Amino acid sequence: MNTKLKVSEISKIYPGCIANDKVSLEFGSGKIYALLGENGAGKSTLVKILSGVVKPDEGEVFLNNESVKLNSPLDAKKNNIGMVFQHFNLFETLSVFENLSIDSDKKDEELRGLVNDILKKYNFKIDLDIPVLNLSAGQKQKVEIIRCLIRNPKVLIMDEPTSVLTEQETDDLFISLKQFSKDGILIIYITHKLKEVLSLCDEVAVMRKGKVVSVSNTINEKIESLANKMVGENLNTIKKKINNFKNNEEILKISNLNFKSDDPYETNLNNLNLSLKKGECLGIAGISGNGQNELFQILSGEIITEGTSIMFRNKEIGKLNPRERREYLMAFSPEDRISQAAVPELKIYENVALNNFKSSNFFEKGLVNEKKIKEHSKKILSNFSVNTDNVELKSQFLSGGNLQKLIIGRELITSPELLVCFNPTWGLDVGAINYIHETLIQINEQGKSSILISTDNDELLKLSDRICVIYKGKLSKIMNADTVTAEKLGILMGGGSID
Amino acid sequence: MSFDLNFIGILVGAIMASSVPLILAASGELITERSGVLNLGVEGMMIIGAISGFALMVVTDNLFFAVVGSMLSGLIISLIFGLLTQSLLTNHVATGLALTIFGIGMSAMIGKNFVGIPGKEFPLLFVNLRESIPFLGPVFFGHSIILYFAFGLPFLTNYFLKKTKTGLIIRAVGDSPTSASNQGINVTLVRYSCILYGGAMCGLAGAYLSLIYTPQWIENMTGGRGWIALALVVFATWSPIKVLIGALIFGGITILQLHMQAVGLRIPVQLLSALPYIMTIIVLVVISRDSRKIKLNTPTSLGQIFYKEK
Repeated sequence: MNTKLKVSEISKIYPGCIANDKVSLEFGSGKIYALLGENGAGKSTLVKILSGVVKPDEGEVFLNNESVKLNSPLDAKKNNIGMVFQHFNLFETLSVFENLSIDSDKKDEELRGLVNDILKKYNFKIDLDIPVLNLSAGQKQKVEIIRCLIRNPKVLIMDEPTSVLTEQETDDLFISLKQFSKDGILIIYITHKLKEVLSLCDEVAVMRKGKVVSVSNTINEKIESLANKMVGENLNTIKKKINNFKNNEEILKISNLNFKSDDPYETNLNNLNLSLKKGECLGIAGISGNGQNELFQILSGEIITEGTSIMFRNKEIGKLNPRERREYLMAFSPEDRISQAAVPELKIYENVALNNFKSSNFFEKGLVNEKKIKEHSKKILSNFSVNTDNVELKSQFLSGGNLQKLIIGRELITSPELLVCFNPTWGLDVGAINYIHETLIQINEQGKSSILISTDNDELLKLSDRICVIYKGKLSKIMNADTVTAEKLGILMGGGSID
Repeated sequence: MSFDLNFIGILVGAIMASSVPLILAASGELITERSGVLNLGVEGMMIIGAISGFALMVVTDNLFFAVVGSMLSGLIISLIFGLLTQSLLTNHVATGLALTIFGIGMSAMIGKNFVGIPGKEFPLLFVNLRESIPFLGPVFFGHSIILYFAFGLPFLTNYFLKKTKTGLIIRAVGDSPTSASNQGINVTLVRYSCILYGGAMCGLAGAYLSLIYTPQWIENMTGGRGWIALALVVFATWSPIKVLIGALIFGGITILQLHMQAVGLRIPVQLLSALPYIMTIIVLVVISRDSRKIKLNTPTSLGQIFYKEK
């Protein structure tokens, strides 16, 4: 089975942005192709066009030299183009089998046989009769892949498939993808992770601002060369100085902290113990859903615990709410920028005012002192290089990177002693990630401490002084960062143990 | 003793009859909500069904036309809701509320000329069996065909949702319309169909009231039953069988408290009148405690407007 896929002069224009600008690419079966680019480079639009979700304004798609019209997802299916979306297209409340049977014309027994064959062939282990919401992210992705495989796809498109996977799950996925490629399926792999391109793909096309800027064999590329093509400028690599905090004073201590939730979809935390020194960055790794949310809320005061279980600068703060904790010079940057950290409908300066202390002079006799807040906001915008100087702008119009800079800026401008952040660079592009990382290193250099809860291992290894892993609500032993490798983290994140 | 048993049988029969409109309307709304559409216009669609059924009965003198006509009118009213929420993407809650207000006003206007006209006798099935068997006779026999249909409906609905492909598609759309659309399912068509089905069932529920339960037209005769049906769907956590249980409890306590009022117990009338509402909620909350099951049955996209990417 030889498959050739060609996109020719594809353009798609959204109001205020050219998502695809005359994109032309060619693919052939037997190879794995990487489509590399930052957020907003136009990769997702292109694959949405290939899967029939979005219609191009101009251009054509050719499958085996024949022009194909992809006006709906059904058309893509008919042409044997399978797609695994970054955000899963699964029905959480339906069982795995129901999810698979919904778009299949086959009888239930026949389909079950076929699915079992696929499970066996690729060594997938999934219970077909449990609801999808009980599956891990890796398993959900397998369900998506099986859904494509049922239809004997000629082309399989994977849209940033590893953003939710553990190290181990990623390895498994790569093995499967290589197997599919051997079986004659053409694979297009969308990512912004450079390492993956080099370890998995044969060819790489780099996109920037809606255009294809380079196509090359991965053998001829290095991480730095790809990064520079992707960003279009030379990035300076960040390196953190290794410090010894032995003699520094202890700033935060959590002892024997337990949290039991009434909500079955939350994770219970068991017997947490940790301590943090002045100027230190503690990284907490783990697969999402292992208690990171609960841990962040306990640190920030959204969940209240026993007073003595959390000591901050020798004060009991377990019972304090987030505002009171901020008065003790703690600062927080939650995972969800839109719904937790900022109110998208409010203007920038209004968002800045939201977390400010009693001691600030933003409010006088119950009235808002707009002038002061605006001055203060302008300072944040310029100090933290947010790409606007208009404090009247509604926060929802900021890009993810700029919004994150605003949030971190808002937290840091009050010079807190401790910053707790949760996935601060989630979904951001390389430039913004670099900036946030530099900022986080800077605060440690100024003698302030930080806790970094993150699902991005590279980030943790780059920024942390010590690292531990959270798994099913329990913390692993806390290790010095220079003794930790990505492999070690992967094992701990999957529930394994190391010596 | 046999007299007492028979009396209890008649009481049970009355309870069943009073719960029929709730079962019909709630089963229809359940399908609508399972597809992710929240139609708060149940009361409005019911009362339109009630007046259309009654008016058609008077004009055509044919009960079959009356019943079918009531379903059609419920369907047409729900089509307005469908057009607004699915094609013009208006807010489900506001549109549903408007539909109820519209239905009540419209029915009062049409109904002006039909006040005081006596209804027609609706044929009852197995009347001779009703007389001949004590207790079981009045419970199971001598009812209208609509009652038998209503009591079968929750089981049919349950089977439909769980075992058929169409049922699976409806649940999928209710869970995630975006995913469904990406799978090539026509979300708008599915939702339209569910809205129209819900409208037809509400129309039938209204016809049951004006043709069988109290065969006459009285302004505002649904008396909030549409709202009860809506609440039943939610408190029954979108399970058809629990809707049936809830409707029976509500109907049962409504009838029983009327008897208690007649007996003259020294309990304030207001408290007795409130009893059906309180008890139904308590019972349904108790039988629906399993939060895992709630999560699996709740249509995740309920009330959300669906935009298709272009």
